[in-house]
Amino acid sequence: MVTSAGSTLLAGMSSSAPIPAPAVEARDLRKSFGEIHAVDGVSFELTAGRIYGLLGPNGSGKTTLIRMLTGLGRPTSGEARVLGVQMPSRQNLARIGYMTQSDGIYPELTAAENTRFFAAMYGVREQGAAEAALAVVELSDRAGTLACQLSGGLRRRLSLACALVHRPPVLFLDEPTVGIDPALRAQFWAHFHDLARAGTTIVVSSHVMDEADRCDELLFMRSGRVIAQGTSQDLRTRAGTTDLEQAFLRFSVDQGPVP
Amino acid sequence: MSLRRVGATFRRLIQELHRDRRSMALLFVAPVVLTGLLAFVLRAQQVAPVSAVVVNEGGPAGATIVGALEDAVRTDGGTVKEAADRAVAEAALRDGTASVAVVVPADFVTRLAQGNEPSVTVITPGLEPTADSQQIVALQRAFVTAVSTALPAAGAHVPRLDPQTLYGSPESDVLDHLAPVFLGFFAYFFVYILTGISFLRERIGGTLERLLATPVTRAEIVLGYSLGFGLFATIQVVVLLGWTLLNVQVPAVGPLAAFSVGLAVPVAGSPLLAFLVVMLLALGAVSLGILLSTFARTELQVIQFIPLVIVPQALLSGVLFPVSSMPEILQAIARVLPLTYATDGLRQVVIRGADLGYGALQVDLLVLAAFVAVFAVLASATIRREVV
Repeated sequence: MVTSAGSTLLAGMSSSAPIPAPAVEARDLRKSFGEIHAVDGVSFELTAGRIYGLLGPNGSGKTTLIRMLTGLGRPTSGEARVLGVQMPSRQNLARIGYMTQSDGIYPELTAAENTRFFAAMYGVREQGAAEAALAVVELSDRAGTLACQLSGGLRRRLSLACALVHRPPVLFLDEPTVGIDPALRAQFWAHFHDLARAGTTIVVSSHVMDEADRCDELLFMRSGRVIAQGTSQDLRTRAGTTDLEQAFLRFSVDQGPVP
Repeated sequence: MSLRRVGATFRRLIQELHRDRRSMALLFVAPVVLTGLLAFVLRAQQVAPVSAVVVNEGGPAGATIVGALEDAVRTDGGTVKEAADRAVAEAALRDGTASVAVVVPADFVTRLAQGNEPSVTVITPGLEPTADSQQIVALQRAFVTAVSTALPAAGAHVPRLDPQTLYGSPESDVLDHLAPVFLGFFAYFFVYILTGISFLRERIGGTLERLLATPVTRAEIVLGYSLGFGLFATIQVVVLLGWTLLNVQVPAVGPLAAFSVGLAVPVAGSPLLAFLVVMLLALGAVSLGILLSTFARTELQVIQFIPLVIVPQALLSGVLFPVSSMPEILQAIARVLPLTYATDGLRQVVIRGADLGYGALQVDLLVLAAFVAVFAVLASATIRREVV
């Protein structure tokens, strides 16, 4: 499914290619580091304009998967496509936003200087894009503050602003809400839903289940595999439990013991 | 005072250091390697054989002593040839076919016969004082042999050598030779440290990962870094060049006495050319910093590369000891170090007064430019999107 808002957003981009559905696609994606199979045969199709939760314990391959989808890691085998373009593709990165687990911002630059730098890196030409990104994360009043003087939560917001500055139609957020307080977390999710309504496809990774209900759809990951995919309600029904954590364990059992 | 807590702190340090293999290696291996290298450079110094050109101004009488001198030099393993006059001899020094020129004066034999010490002018290029003095010492020996064979009657009277240099002034001191070379060394050193630490912070701070998630190319990153630190290097080199070459007289103002600022090292060539040499070296250092930051996990480890990478270069590249007197194997290493060419280039410009028409300087500049290109390509190769 392609939302009309998504088409509008893409129409503004330099590329005039028709929007492909799915927005993000993995085909038997694998990544091995020697003997360790970090991602071990993952396939899925993600629809534009929805929020997907990539859930799984630490070390289940979430970050490795996201790095292949953002072109930072080359798959050992299989195929990763974003907006119809096979990754890694340097040009395609202008249409992808990526918020890393670490803040990845320059501590000696101000908030505005950070967003302006990343705007330039993403090739954004329009004036005010950096300021607009700061406004989205409600950091405008701290624009002149050095990043190293911002609190941890504000730095996460700045990091999100840097990932949004080029208005990407696809956004990967690697554990975006780790270590931030509940109020800010609620704000973050409000932003994510606004962006999704505007047509942005969002993939959020998390190792805690309590954020799962805020996603449109969930992908459970364990040992480098997607063990279940569906809406929160759907997964609980299939697992025969009301608790998502129980559901995850139920699906894990079907996969056998951890190798 | 709890001995247990003191002991626990002590033990923790041992555990940490034991796991940090690199620091351990640095503590024990680096000093051994460095002093070993220093010993090798100093002990295995081959005194380069004399390569002399002799001018005989003493007629047939002088010819006897010149012949004996030539025999003595050849016996020592050196080479010697004769020149018609001083100008021809100096030309041989200039084009590098001889390392030292000897002028035997007209009164040489008569003064010896009178029991006086004759004075002999010896001319060296003056680019590398250590190499020059080795030539002069060897010549002195040859003269002693020559006089005792050709004129045994002269007894203990040995000619006094009057050293002159082709380039630079006879009054030039050690600083005049070292300052231009140190200029290059400092620029190289500081630009390496700045870039190395700055780029390491990109790697460990997560900003490089973030950068690589944008459509930026590796060449764009390396070029941007080169421009950025190139600017700092420019300012540094301008300040250092000014400090080294200038001598600004500050007049007395009120209670302050007059004083001068600057080291007033004489510069024979164009300061702009010296600047060009140092800038090429500094640009190479930017890429070297990016390259070496790959092999470091902490800022401390970037600093640890100083004794391993920077100090050996200072020992081998002719900053302190002439490359020509080093053992063959060390000379081979020196030939692949960018600092060697910068050192030579700076000497050519500042002391010899070389301009762009000089072959030796052209080689230095070309090799330095090649180093910049090679280091930049290597540095780009270390900035990979695929980071495990």
